[in-house]
Amino acid sequence: MASFEQHIHDKPTTFISKYIFSFDHKVIGKQYLWYGIFFLLVGGLMALLIRWTLAFPGHAMPIVGHLLFPATNGVVPPDSYAMLFTMHGTIMIFFAITPILIGAFGNFCIPLMIGARDMVFPSLNMMSFWVAVVSGLLLLAGLITPLGAAAGGWTSYPTLSTLLGSPGVGQTLWTMSIFVLGISSLMGAVNYITTIIVLRAPGMGYFDMPLTIWGVWMTSILNAIFIPVLGAGCLLLIFDRVFGTTFFLAGATATQGGGDPLLFQHVFWIFGHPEVYILILPGWGIVSDLLSFFARKPAFGAKATAMCMVSITVLSTVVYGHHMFTTQMSPLLTQTFMTLTMTISIPSAIFFVNWLGTLWKGSIRFTSPMLFSIGVIFVFGLGGLTGLYLATVTTDLYLHDTYFVVGHFHYTMAASVLLAGFAGIYFWMPKMFGVLMNEFWGKVHFWLSFLGLNGVFMGMMLAGYGGMHRRLYDPFVYEFLQKLIPVNTFITYSSLLMGGAQVIFVINFIYSIVKNKKVEDNPWEVGTLEWTIPSPAPHYNFKEIPVVKCGPHELGNPALKDRDFQYQTEELVRG
Amino acid sequence: MVRTLFYNSVFFLFTFPAFAAAKKDLSFWEMIAPPEDISENGHLITWLFNYVTGANVFFMTLVILGIVVFSYLYSAKRHKKAYYTYGDKKAHILFVAACCLAVFLGVDMNITRISNEDYTKVFNKPPDPTKEDVVRIEVLAQQWMWKFRYPGEDNVFNTADDVVTLNDLRVPINKKVYFQITSKDVIHAFYIPNIKRKIDALPGKITWMWTKFMKAGNWEIACAEMCGTHHYKMQAFLTTYTQDDFDKWYKNAQKYAELENNPEDPTVFWGWKWY
Repeated sequence: MASFEQHIHDKPTTFISKYIFSFDHKVIGKQYLWYGIFFLLVGGLMALLIRWTLAFPGHAMPIVGHLLFPATNGVVPPDSYAMLFTMHGTIMIFFAITPILIGAFGNFCIPLMIGARDMVFPSLNMMSFWVAVVSGLLLLAGLITPLGAAAGGWTSYPTLSTLLGSPGVGQTLWTMSIFVLGISSLMGAVNYITTIIVLRAPGMGYFDMPLTIWGVWMTSILNAIFIPVLGAGCLLLIFDRVFGTTFFLAGATATQGGGDPLLFQHVFWIFGHPEVYILILPGWGIVSDLLSFFARKPAFGAKATAMCMVSITVLSTVVYGHHMFTTQMSPLLTQTFMTLTMTISIPSAIFFVNWLGTLWKGSIRFTSPMLFSIGVIFVFGLGGLTGLYLATVTTDLYLHDTYFVVGHFHYTMAASVLLAGFAGIYFWMPKMFGVLMNEFWGKVHFWLSFLGLNGVFMGMMLAGYGGMHRRLYDPFVYEFLQKLIPVNTFITYSSLLMGGAQVIFVINFIYSIVKNKKVEDNPWEVGTLEWTIPSPAPHYNFKEIPVVKCGPHELGNPALKDRDFQYQTEELVRG
Repeated sequence: MVRTLFYNSVFFLFTFPAFAAAKKDLSFWEMIAPPEDISENGHLITWLFNYVTGANVFFMTLVILGIVVFSYLYSAKRHKKAYYTYGDKKAHILFVAACCLAVFLGVDMNITRISNEDYTKVFNKPPDPTKEDVVRIEVLAQQWMWKFRYPGEDNVFNTADDVVTLNDLRVPINKKVYFQITSKDVIHAFYIPNIKRKIDALPGKITWMWTKFMKAGNWEIACAEMCGTHHYKMQAFLTTYTQDDFDKWYKNAQKYAELENNPEDPTVFWGWKWY
């Protein structure tokens, strides 16, 4: 429904305008992809160091440990351990998953899949990326300050994150970094929402959009509403740290006046719970689309899937209290938040039935993107169901802040999102770089990652069930946890397997780009708009703005003669 | 540098089987078993946990069966032509709705109801010290230790006869124990694995928890909320006595308290009047 004309601009000629300060959504998407993959590697290495410390306390990690901690003969010291898990969480959530799922796929897919020549605000788009770079630099700068990076956990609860608990400038830099990143995400979100509303190709109703776009759209709406809340919380924390206010100080530490540390938890989680849906919604969208594409039949209940995304978006805003059950809320609140949280299982159940319904009576092609998508059904199933224990007040009293929580949210946020992200990378590789990744090594990558991550996160849940609590440098000072040493060793071996599997991915990814073996325009035989144009996409995307005549999942129509799918630009064939 | 690196790596290769072999006499289920429940009401939590597990195993089995069976039956090799449907037939919609209702009414609302009942009628219902015989203890968390305060002979807190211990909690069994908890600096969480519960210790606020211990022995208390570098060392020891043993210890501790508590020293009186 383009309400204004989109011009074809000249191709940028200089290196800087083409690759650095580019206005082209495809280049910005790729920039986000590289940015995300870089931070994914940093955060992943941190995870391995954490795991090493937990499985073999007091032993140096070969090579990496010796390079990073020469003073302690390669062993991670306790304060560095706290920095490691803080930075791991922050990096993975804000600097790896967000840029890949939202920055890269959002930017790359939105205009291509809705038939636009670019985002509606190209310079805002460019600014969004470069502000994110500034934010990343701020975060990394924390690592070289005298007292080290932030070490209060990714949640940075005051009063630990005020000067009382974290005197170093690293925590201030962390808070500023998140604030700046919020600005970047907000610019992206505004751009995405507007683009999707304004620039859909003529004829494309909302339900003709691929579900990926639905996912990114809902994510952007949540981002636009809740990132400012986090920004406000961060700003108040900066005030407390730099200007001596007492928003979050209480008790003996508040020499005058005094606020409430719980206030920050409210502000943080009213953003933090939508944040998990911010991260997973694009993944759900991608998976819903890919399952249909490779099962060669229309997405089962696509409208219901889209409406479930909407209802989860709404529900996610009113359930955040389940993160704070142990702060002794009023029972009226615990009951409310518990009930509201449980209602999320209705749209979630619809997702699963629809995904399995898509597979049902399909003609499934087990390509690597498909394997990753099916993997998401499994890991998200586990992640979602284990959420029941944590939404329930009384079981949460036991499981809160244990490794069970860690395992649960890694299943939902790390495993599902990573697998969906990989599915997307394998799938859109032809459109991004004009090449296909090696299928065989893609499948090896899937199976090793899948085994590894289930070993890690299942192991974590078992350890948590055994009572092991979080963020311990050496859990085995507790006698009741000593029997869990073998479980922790197992988790660490699994994490090494998972980490090793990513080497295959990186080599496969780089090798196929360098080798640059051209692929046909539509290797997956899919009918959405991005596959109607050459691979890789030309800088103006569409020579003619396409006119949409049918939905995105027109596969397996028996009335079709020579092929089993039809493009969205073609009139729906009726039998 | 290279040499240390080498030696350390070799050392590691030879020692890691030792880690793996540790506690090998335990079976898998014994290994992951939660800490022994020694409280009167911990079984409510265990029961609900198992109930949810049962439901989860059921639904996860359905999902896995769906993935495996459909992948097998409908792979492109075996099933050449996909069935063309949007999933919007009446039967499809009814099936989806039935699944949702089964999950929501059958499991979710059941759990919510039971949990809410347990919470409001048991865990979140404080005993009344004026009406029943309860042991009252004030808990002060600070980086990185636990302090416990008993009211002493006069049964009033913050007087010179208070018994104060460091990282050492002693309680009688078969009697309600009522804790009031606060923190001096950052947020901590008072976690007693053996009663399956924890509660945050918040600066500027008093939280509370009650329980009844049922078994005498030696146990551990941990801090469950990240509270700084030495969070992992914030450990206290819990001793549960029979009433007689407890009385003996308490009397003795009382004697020492009266001798040692210096009424001139304000730091001794960190307690508060019972709320």
